[in-house]
Amino acid sequence: MLVFAASDKGGTGRSVTSANLAYHHALDGSDVCFLDFDFGSPTAATVFDLPDVPAEAEGTGLHAYLRGAANEPLRIDVWSRTEHLDLRDRPAGSGRLVLVPGDRSGGEFVTGEEHLHRCVDLILRLHREFDVIVVDLSAGRSYAVDLVLAATSPRGGLAGLKHRWLVFHRWTRQHVAAAAELAFGPRGIVQAGAAMGHEPDVLRAAIRFVRAAVPDLESPPWSHVTPAQYAWMRHCDSTLETLASTRGVGRTWTLASIPLEPVLQWQERLITIEDVYDRQIANQATWDALIGLAQQLTDDTLWGER
Amino acid sequence: MSRTGRDPHPVIACGEVRTCLLPTRDALDERAAVKLLRLRPDERVRVSRHPNRYVVSPEVLTGVDCPLPTDTGARVRAVGTVGSHASLVEGRVIQATASFSLPAVGTDRRQAWSYYLVRPGSLVPVGQLPQRALVRGFLLGHRPGRLDVGSIAESVLARISRQDRILDHDPPLTAADTRLRWTAVRTAAGEEPSSLFTKGEDGLRTLELSLPSGLPPTAAVGLCEELALHDWLLTTVADKLDGLPTGAADDRAVLRVLRPLVDHLLHLWMPRARVDRVLQTVWNQLEETPGYSRQWTAHAQRIRDQLALRAIHLRDEVPGRR
Amino acid sequence: MNESVPTFRETSAEPRVESLPFSHLSLEIGHLYMEDFAEGPDRLRRHFDTVRPWADAVRNDVGAHLADARPRVSTCFLIDDYFSRLTTPDELLPPLIDAAAGAGLTIDYLARESGCAVAPGADRTLVRPAESVMHRLVESPPPGSSGFRPPVSRTGWLSNGRRTPAQRSSAALDTAGAAWQPPRETDARGHSVFLDIELWSEAEGERTWSCAFLASVWQLVRLGLLRDNGRALLAPTPWDDAGFPTDWDALPPVLRLNPRAAPFTAYVTCSVLPRRFLPVEHAVRVVLDQVHVEDEPLRQVAERSGSEGFAVPAGVADRASYVFPLGL
Repeated sequence: MLVFAASDKGGTGRSVTSANLAYHHALDGSDVCFLDFDFGSPTAATVFDLPDVPAEAEGTGLHAYLRGAANEPLRIDVWSRTEHLDLRDRPAGSGRLVLVPGDRSGGEFVTGEEHLHRCVDLILRLHREFDVIVVDLSAGRSYAVDLVLAATSPRGGLAGLKHRWLVFHRWTRQHVAAAAELAFGPRGIVQAGAAMGHEPDVLRAAIRFVRAAVPDLESPPWSHVTPAQYAWMRHCDSTLETLASTRGVGRTWTLASIPLEPVLQWQERLITIEDVYDRQIANQATWDALIGLAQQLTDDTLWGER
Repeated sequence: MSRTGRDPHPVIACGEVRTCLLPTRDALDERAAVKLLRLRPDERVRVSRHPNRYVVSPEVLTGVDCPLPTDTGARVRAVGTVGSHASLVEGRVIQATASFSLPAVGTDRRQAWSYYLVRPGSLVPVGQLPQRALVRGFLLGHRPGRLDVGSIAESVLARISRQDRILDHDPPLTAADTRLRWTAVRTAAGEEPSSLFTKGEDGLRTLELSLPSGLPPTAAVGLCEELALHDWLLTTVADKLDGLPTGAADDRAVLRVLRPLVDHLLHLWMPRARVDRVLQTVWNQLEETPGYSRQWTAHAQRIRDQLALRAIHLRDEVPGRR
Repeated sequence: MNESVPTFRETSAEPRVESLPFSHLSLEIGHLYMEDFAEGPDRLRRHFDTVRPWADAVRNDVGAHLADARPRVSTCFLIDDYFSRLTTPDELLPPLIDAAAGAGLTIDYLARESGCAVAPGADRTLVRPAESVMHRLVESPPPGSSGFRPPVSRTGWLSNGRRTPAQRSSAALDTAGAAWQPPRETDARGHSVFLDIELWSEAEGERTWSCAFLASVWQLVRLGLLRDNGRALLAPTPWDDAGFPTDWDALPPVLRLNPRAAPFTAYVTCSVLPRRFLPVEHAVRVVLDQVHVEDEPLRQVAERSGSEGFAVPAGVADRASYVFPLGL
């Protein structure tokens, strides 16, 4: 399965959440590949705790590959290379977890038939080796978004592959509106896809939203505020919910809400079971939400199948 | 060397075999397999049915003019064509091979292209050929700007992967690809053929062969494809069995892992199906250590035993209680 | 112990390659567009009158290279029915044949250009010679080609060297590619004559082969170097009928009009053509230089011509020669 992780803005937790999503699928026994298509600012190497990879990826990363400068993009086996102590011992029964890192050499670049061809070749190849391929796309209606839309369009070469879109956003007015705009706006994913030959309804049915960094009003510190503050936050929350639902970003179309997690506020990283139980630095609710997201992503009953 | 055709007596042959599962739910039947591998409309796809079904595409040539890989850093330019083809075993496992051979004597400068087109699959060095440095450099792997045989093999797979009318891209299991990079040099007169097989990280294998001088490069290609196939089978099955929960774990989860192995892979073990007689000794050496067939038999037996046990267990469950 | 079995003998056998009869030379005495025919019989007569002395010279030249054998030279004429079909065969062909005869020339073989794209094959199948040749192109690699560049089958363009690198419009990218670099002919002697050939164009999924590429196929057909799964392609069909049909598709791709003609396929070719075809035939040379012809047809030609003592150049492109006379 192909999973495209998109967001309208930076700072939505897209990269870190989708990396955690990949990690959970690997823990669950799937063979998972994470493609860093965030051409502007590749961050996956940081999230997976691979400090040497950015330098190694110069000239051999995804960007260089798509440009035709490298014949095959670098692949990093996360289990064996990561410096994250909890990940060094690959858990029994886990699947492969491979990162195809981006490289900083370029930034966004112009589209072209040859890039598209190379992108399709790569994904077709990874698709036979991996159960889940997570593609982390640059924020906004970026080149990366257009590239994968073209690749999955009827004439692109990947139309036959099961693919799902996750649009990440934070829980504020601006972010909710922007996420809706990215998905359904006049310059959004559905419209852009339709122009490339996608069936709008099918594409629409393949998009779900993930709320990131959502404050849980029933738990500390939010539950410990003054009654006035609490009432105001409640009001904001329900106004937001209304706004979301009128924009097509409501609960029905939301796959998961990831709570505001202190660990992730301080560090872009994978949250491990040790973080939750041994060190007790991460919240159980975050861990559960990530498991839920991983399960719902592959639960066909939640997705209008094609 | 004959006026046309492959050089029958090259001093070195090198190549890379990539092996992977064909991305389809079911194995292809012969008709579909022939259609899939018709890389050229005017040339026949070869089919062999015994001892297993084996389909081979026509040979495709890629022109190159670049420095050869060497471990000393010496720059040796070579010009010519790399031959590549794909083969499909029992409609299930696909292999792409790219290979070339090198004549003992090079030319002093690049010739007209027609000179190389009548030597398909040959790279002709411009200048002297440092044989040892080339063999070691080739096995070390691709470096930017140097000959890239792996990419040529991969492009054959990429081309085949795009046949959407035949491939549904819904394979019953996922398996990592393997790459077998090989070199073959001539043995000294009277010596037995020999080999050195190395298993590396990330699905990379290398094989260094010394072969009698009378043997055509195609025999080496055949041996390497066969070895790559069996190594891939063993690697894939071992990976799936690694960490398989035993005991009271979820039977259905275990069955989900084991069933595809039985349905799709176990019957493919067929060592020495197409190995040239002279090269049987090479295969026999590999059978002694590390003992591939022994390991395979053990794995296959374990899969069947596990399946039998789980089946009994499931049957004993009260019907309807899920 | 397992015996190795010669497995490929069992089913598909080693492919057999049909052998062909060969003339010494195939002489093309014209190639006209439909528009040329519209100018009437005088235009045709002028054409053949101009060709005649050159045709004689070519014939004599072949004879001079043969010790004792009588030269076998067959003539042919290619009709463009691929790019336009202004008139029908029954209108167009009789005046054409008459005009040639008036100038003292015999058209032994008449061919339709669309036959180079699609033609009837064995067992009521269709063969697509142009597509087959496209898959036989092995690009001459400019120095530095390590095995990875988009193949011609994807780009539809074939060149004789290295193209000018594509300009990138994004300033964020490496600035090395920003300065213009000249193209370079791979086999240049000192200075380049760079040529980039469009092999086809596509509109709504429909592929139209270029004139240059079909002309290359035409040369390969005349040189007897193409096979389809071992069988000959575009074998001439005897045409004894007095008249011609009203539909081009009712005509075989290659007709033998003269029952006593020497074989259609030949060791070498010569084409007497209007000068406007010069760039097209330059492209033909570049294409022929990069076609990987099967071993067996090459071997047949080498063996047979060798036994006759007739020298055939090793390179396929060098087997085609041209005359571009004044007045055509």
